[in-house]
Amino acid sequence: MRVQARLAPAAFSPERELADFVTGLDAEGAVVSFVGLVRPRSAAGDPLTRLFLDHHPRLTERSLAEIGAAAAERFAVGAVRIVHRCGAVLPGEPIVFAAAASRHRRAAFEAADYLMDRLKTDALFWKREEGAGGSRWIEPTGADQADRTRWEARCPE
Amino acid sequence: MRILFFGRLGDRIGRETEVELPADVRNVADLRQLLARLKPEAGSEFLGKTLRACVDDAIVNDDHPVDERSEVAFFPPLSGG
Repeated sequence: MRVQARLAPAAFSPERELADFVTGLDAEGAVVSFVGLVRPRSAAGDPLTRLFLDHHPRLTERSLAEIGAAAAERFAVGAVRIVHRCGAVLPGEPIVFAAAASRHRRAAFEAADYLMDRLKTDALFWKREEGAGGSRWIEPTGADQADRTRWEARCPE
Repeated sequence: MRILFFGRLGDRIGRETEVELPADVRNVADLRQLLARLKPEAGSEFLGKTLRACVDDAIVNDDHPVDERSEVAFFPPLSGG
């Protein structure tokens, strides 16, 4: 079982992450990966200049590792990787990469889905949307919370 | 003692401060009272329920002890990733 979780203070390449992740695999026959990009508009619909992610010097990366470990424990996956940006991220830039690999595809699909739902609510960040009209700190949406809650009703596998 | 502030709170009062700990400040609740006096612009936040306290990298309750060697952080609500 391999869980890799890392904070990226500067732009990263999801293509390179995926290639590197696949290179490290052994008996797995399925890889599912997700890339999240910063949207060009704020939740309110205004054009975004950038998104700023404030983070704790140790606990933020630890929260990523804990989410990765929880996915690895819950699903039959052989490897998990999370890369998450911190600092200033521009619209269109990758903000998160999450990947899971398993012997057969189902576990990898489910683990990647789980990783993203957990990351959206439980990763230790404070996000500020910045635009021409000012800046605003944001909190998880009701939809994010509902996605997160989906996993609580199910028994661990 | 070094204290870190994050998110909205860091914007308002600065991301870090160094305070000389009075002898009667023994736990997080005492520290909240002290910070409410030192940073009146965020006084209601320190005394309210929305800020979580973190001492030496663990989220703790208000009765958790603090001393000069503690590294304390205050967390406003998280946004998630």
